Amino acid sequence: MAVVSHTPAARQRVERLDRIWRERPGLVGWLTTTDHKRIGLMYLFASLAFFAAGGVEALLVRTQLAAPQQGVLSPAAYNQVFTVHGVTMIFLFVIPISTGAFGNYLLPLMIGARDMAFPRLNALSFWIYAASGIFIYTGLALGHGPDAGWFDYVPLASRQFSPDSGIDFYALGLIFTGISSTAAAVNFVVTIFKLRAPGMSLNRMPLFCYAFLAVSFALIFALPALTLALVLLELDRRLGFHFFDVAQGGDPLLWQHLFWIFGHPEVYIIILPAFGIATSIIPTFTHRRMVAFPLVALAEILVVFIGFGVWVHHMFAVGLPTAITIAFAAASLVIVIPSAIQLFAWITTIVAGTPDFKTPLLWIVGFIVFFTIGGLTGIMFAAIPFDQQLTDSYFVVAHFHFVIFGAAVFPILGGLYYWFPKVSGRMYHERAGKISFWVTFAGTLATFFPMHILGLLGMPRRVYTYHHGLGWGGLNLLETLGSYLLAGGLLLVAANLAISLRRGPPAGDDPWGGDTLEWATTSPPPPYNYAVIPKVTSAYAMWDREDRVEDARRLERGELVLEQGHETPASTVLDAEWDEVLRMPPSSWAPLALAAAVSGIFAMLLLGHVLTATAFVALAAVVLLRWHSVEPQDT
Amino acid sequence: MSEVTRSSRAVGGAAVARVARARRTLPNGWWGMLLLAAAEATLFGTLVATYFYLRLQTSPWPPVGISPPSVTLPLALTAVLVATSAPMLAAARAARAGRRGAALRWITLATLVQGAYLAVQVALFLDDLSKFDPRQTAYGSVYFTLLGVHHAHVVVGLALNAGVLVRLLGGLTNYRVIGVRAVAMYWCFVNAAAVLVVLTQISPAL
Repeated sequence: MAVVSHTPAARQRVERLDRIWRERPGLVGWLTTTDHKRIGLMYLFASLAFFAAGGVEALLVRTQLAAPQQGVLSPAAYNQVFTVHGVTMIFLFVIPISTGAFGNYLLPLMIGARDMAFPRLNALSFWIYAASGIFIYTGLALGHGPDAGWFDYVPLASRQFSPDSGIDFYALGLIFTGISSTAAAVNFVVTIFKLRAPGMSLNRMPLFCYAFLAVSFALIFALPALTLALVLLELDRRLGFHFFDVAQGGDPLLWQHLFWIFGHPEVYIIILPAFGIATSIIPTFTHRRMVAFPLVALAEILVVFIGFGVWVHHMFAVGLPTAITIAFAAASLVIVIPSAIQLFAWITTIVAGTPDFKTPLLWIVGFIVFFTIGGLTGIMFAAIPFDQQLTDSYFVVAHFHFVIFGAAVFPILGGLYYWFPKVSGRMYHERAGKISFWVTFAGTLATFFPMHILGLLGMPRRVYTYHHGLGWGGLNLLETLGSYLLAGGLLLVAANLAISLRRGPPAGDDPWGGDTLEWATTSPPPPYNYAVIPKVTSAYAMWDREDRVEDARRLERGELVLEQGHETPASTVLDAEWDEVLRMPPSSWAPLALAAAVSGIFAMLLLGHVLTATAFVALAAVVLLRWHSVEPQDT
Repeated sequence: MSEVTRSSRAVGGAAVARVARARRTLPNGWWGMLLLAAAEATLFGTLVATYFYLRLQTSPWPPVGISPPSVTLPLALTAVLVATSAPMLAAARAARAGRRGAALRWITLATLVQGAYLAVQVALFLDDLSKFDPRQTAYGSVYFTLLGVHHAHVVVGLALNAGVLVRLLGGLTNYRVIGVRAVAMYWCFVNAAAVLVVLTQISPAL
């Protein structure tokens, strides 16, 4: 039930808001937008494009491995393809689609805000992300893709063994992406802290937002380790420094430590948005509140916190002292507890409620199944002898694909179905949606489950082929067929949504009886999100009917409409008491221009033109000065 | 709740001071800078950890042929830099109170001292480079990287000061006040990082 009001005063206010918040038309509107929903959609389409690219790479890998001694890809091409597949799926697909697309589009809506805290910074995050993705793919297109695996271990990645520029594309490209992720994370935290609707104290904030708060903090504290590692690597490769070179006092294990100090929190950065999506979909389709709300909120934060103390379990086989490895093995077992709290809370909510297994909830059930499988194999790796036996085998590949594809991507796909009516204003095809789920589910099992067995049989990961007579051919063929089935399922999802975009029946504002605020506004939402800023009294704002009726009355009275410009309220951090009214910036060319200047810096660094790179730094400074010369009172 | 503070519109000393008093929480720009400083502090923490990680691999440290770092001058320089936190915080205070002239003067004073600090540090950096090479040993690599990263942060801080000064010349607005507060916080972070960096730098001589 949306805010419906037909009095002339209310209509006038809505018309006034429409006029104030009107976006520039056409392509210019998209290039200069600072609207979180438009930026979210650009993130969505860009990350789906990279998903398609990463998917094609995965199919190439599977086709090459379908039978022994195949020649679809040369060994060199194979190395580039599997490396870029990993980099794409993690840095250019899962994180951007979950934080950039879902977070950007939904988070301000869920907290009753009209935009993110820093709208221009938000646009900058997107353009830098898009440019860094193109940067990395330029390397691949020129035949200089990175080829040392997504974790890029030295000495293989050092200049001596990888003289090609592929590793430089990787290192500079990931520093480049890191700028975007850091900016986005800062933006999310400030938005969550300061822009919540009046009354939405922290204990009334939806669990989805808790997940994004946790992810943002993880990004802020994890990315610097990766950035530093990449800078040191480039100093070694380009200027002849010796951070990773044993002969001159360096140490290759330094790379592994720095990488995994980032890399393990990264796993939770990937999976937590999926948890957030699950905690949105489950209450809506089981018609009851989440079980153990405070525990789930705490577990979301705790999983990130503990996630910073387990990185050495990626290095059990490198010969570290036993005392150290045992401590990290224990920490890796402890992290099971907050994960299990959430798992049991989801299951209990479904069992205790009255579940309606529509397509979005089906994807969440699939997610629970796969997260259980991937989680259980994860616990096995906390056992040091087990890890030492199976590290670098296909068992690891099975484990992390169940976690990343099964547990992180399934809720993303479920979320696409769940919020499709809100974003497009139309319904998808329910029956086709269920079919697409089952096809993808079967494809996922067939692709990744046999990898466990192959790992136990001794098949190593990252080999471009294998010999006849090892007994691996049958299972590999099954996996390859499974991957085609999986791709077919994903195409069904894409077709369903693409066709429904044109032909789907109108969805209305709240087709599901959803629990959070985004269902209170129209589908799709207007640029200002809410004609009247909602006031919130519980974590399930849409189920408080009285409050939403009161919103409509306030629109008639003109209370909390904020119609004097691009305005949104700011509130106190803990209790969300209304503090002041902020004016948000209008559309601007500055973010795109700054992203272009930063792209120039990285391109010139890659080519080794330090002087030209410095010129681009100066250009960026000029753009920044222009950026800050447009102040709120001038707009 | 009917008392709406439209703080973004405040222009001029009196209006700016009024919205600063009415605001109960810290502004968004302050939070944004705090989080950026948190990320940058993590970068410095990891870099210092890298230094000591490499130090554990090598004995003696610094390696034979490289003399231990001098102690007095870097410590004195750091003390000077840390002292500039005071004028920066005074500038933030003056800006919040709507006193534009005082804010301008405090930032100018801080900028002059910070600029002099950077000039001496660059001279020392070049002098060190003439004595040993970052391409010879891991010690040299991490020594120059550690100092270079911090000097880069000082350069960024000076650029921020310049930007804020240029904007303040055009008058005081709420937006610029928040800018001054954010830049002051940035300097507090850079100066705290300077202490960490200098203690790491001189540690072999202690």
